[in-house]
Amino acid sequence: MTARVYLKNIVKRFGKVVAVDHVNLEVREKEFLVLLGPSGCGKTTTLRIIAGLEFPDEGRVYIDDKDVTDLEPKDRDVAMVFQNYALYPHLTVRDNIAFPLIIRRKQLGLTREEIYKKVLEVAKLLRIEELLDRKPGQLSGGQQQRVALARALIRRPKVWLMDEPLSNLDALLRLQMRAELKRLQREVGITTIYVTHDQAEALSMADRIAVMNKGRIVQVGTPEDIYLRPQHVFVATFIGTPPMNIIRCITDLRNNKLYLHCPGIEREIPPEVAKHLREDMELLLGMRPEFVEVHKEPGPDTIKAKILVVEPQGSELILNLNISPEDREETIVKVKTKATRKYSPGETVYLELDWTKISLFDAKTGKALA
Amino acid sequence: MGLLARRKRTKIILAFLLPELALILSFVLIPIMGTFVISFKTDHGYGLDNYYGVITERSPDKALVIPENIVKAQPPPWGALIHNIVWVAIHVPIVVFLGLGIAYLLHDVIGSSIVKSIMFLGMVIPMVVGGLLIRFMFDGDLGVVPLLFRKLGIEALSRTWINYPQTALIALILGSVWLWTGFSLTVYAAALESLPKSYIEAAKVDGASGFQIFFKVVFPLLKHATIVVVIMTMLWDLKIFDIVFVSTLGGPGGATNVMALIMYTYFARALDYGRSAATAVILALISLIPGIWFIKRVMRSGS
Repeated sequence: MTARVYLKNIVKRFGKVVAVDHVNLEVREKEFLVLLGPSGCGKTTTLRIIAGLEFPDEGRVYIDDKDVTDLEPKDRDVAMVFQNYALYPHLTVRDNIAFPLIIRRKQLGLTREEIYKKVLEVAKLLRIEELLDRKPGQLSGGQQQRVALARALIRRPKVWLMDEPLSNLDALLRLQMRAELKRLQREVGITTIYVTHDQAEALSMADRIAVMNKGRIVQVGTPEDIYLRPQHVFVATFIGTPPMNIIRCITDLRNNKLYLHCPGIEREIPPEVAKHLREDMELLLGMRPEFVEVHKEPGPDTIKAKILVVEPQGSELILNLNISPEDREETIVKVKTKATRKYSPGETVYLELDWTKISLFDAKTGKALA
Repeated sequence: MGLLARRKRTKIILAFLLPELALILSFVLIPIMGTFVISFKTDHGYGLDNYYGVITERSPDKALVIPENIVKAQPPPWGALIHNIVWVAIHVPIVVFLGLGIAYLLHDVIGSSIVKSIMFLGMVIPMVVGGLLIRFMFDGDLGVVPLLFRKLGIEALSRTWINYPQTALIALILGSVWLWTGFSLTVYAAALESLPKSYIEAAKVDGASGFQIFFKVVFPLLKHATIVVVIMTMLWDLKIFDIVFVSTLGGPGGATNVMALIMYTYFARALDYGRSAATAVILALISLIPGIWFIKRVMRSGS
């Protein structure tokens, strides 16, 4: 029932725009894979190519080692959940869920009673059995969402495709449905490809995330990989609230040792990293706002910083700090800290970086250094 | 809201409403009432004489039902009311399916707006010109339709259609299809345009064939457009006048007579204003049936 999906060198152009640019991606069996990226990055187009709603200009699509590139959507055995759910307003919830089976009734050799029995089973799984006689217009957003999921589930397709299915829900319901969707996917054990621009959704639901930008896949990895070990400065700045701080630095050779020279920061580069580098290279230093400690007094390895803005977030605070030693220049970093003490703008604090959790990127290519 | 503010608000509302109410009253409501009153006026006061006369009239050019020259199980004349009903029965379904079919085929096709514009021309030209065009179309020597049937070797349909009672009514009805399909097409094309693509795509992914998508998804989703097309076409058919007037004048032998034409005949030829008004009232009452149904549908979908 469940399947592997493999995209090989997919290219899709719309006129002169390259929407999908040589995408290679393998989705494993029963995996929850999230395609994540800003709008216009090609994630939805990629999903539609898997569904068969768009045909690629180059490359092949495989589902379970079968080349489906030229097959119509109906011959691919996939189900799709749309952003606006696409529930048929003229049909009851029961008939909406039954729709994929009813239109293939003759091929499948099912009676109407058998179909409605299956509808009831799926409805129970999604806890919507008391809604079956209503029309979609009488349902709340969350209920419509469940009906759309039920319709995608009833056929027991090989692959579930979801195009921002939670983005039309209000914030609280979205959090609830995240967990529920994940539970359902685990329970049913169905290969799922999920498109979103919401990184929190991706991080909380995915087994693996494929981050896309400008039609290309920038990095594929577990949420932890993506968060802690971004392979590209784009991933670093796209993920996280607030995203990773990026500081422009250059390398400096002194006493045969390579130093990282940034505004307010001087540090020796570990030899295993340094062997890939030269003098006078431009680098980007990346540090997550939460891997920085804020001290009142200077320590042996601290960076002096001046508080510019304090953003309270409930139990946490986000401090906007200037770490540049010169008052005229500004190198702003954001730091997340517990709201256990008061900070006020203008105050001087001392930052301690967790150097095991920093990232270094080549400023020219944006790629991470090993 | 304070009392003063509310008073001021009422005044503003009235200032906007009154001109329209005055216009509607003087140009719509009073003439309607006037017609109504005239329709009941007789030589000896007021009564139902006009209505009785209109309904029982048997002369071929004025009969609503059962004209004196009716032949059992034969072609028209059957009476103007029956002609109107036949018109609705043939015209409405053809216009609906032709308009929807063409709109669906042209949906998302490059250059389709040109085709749609040309078809919409039928709606824009004056109906008097439309009636003349119908005369040409079905003319035995010049017309495209008789020519077509001559090529097919069907002799009975290769003569001038509107000269014979067997073919005159159907010629006008088919001609009105040609004139009116542009309306249906335009309504359906607009409705299709506003239909979210995901409905069709969802059906495609779920395994529906092109046929199933059309009948199980698209057609039901276009219900509101269908209601508009059906009602507007019915009303247009019931009050049809101009194309009949210029092409056949209700002939031959009353075979293409319609209610609006009878109303005109009483008014302009017989100078019988009472009966003319009575015909108008009957026509209005019949038109009210689809009209009220339509308003009910609109109100219900609005709430």
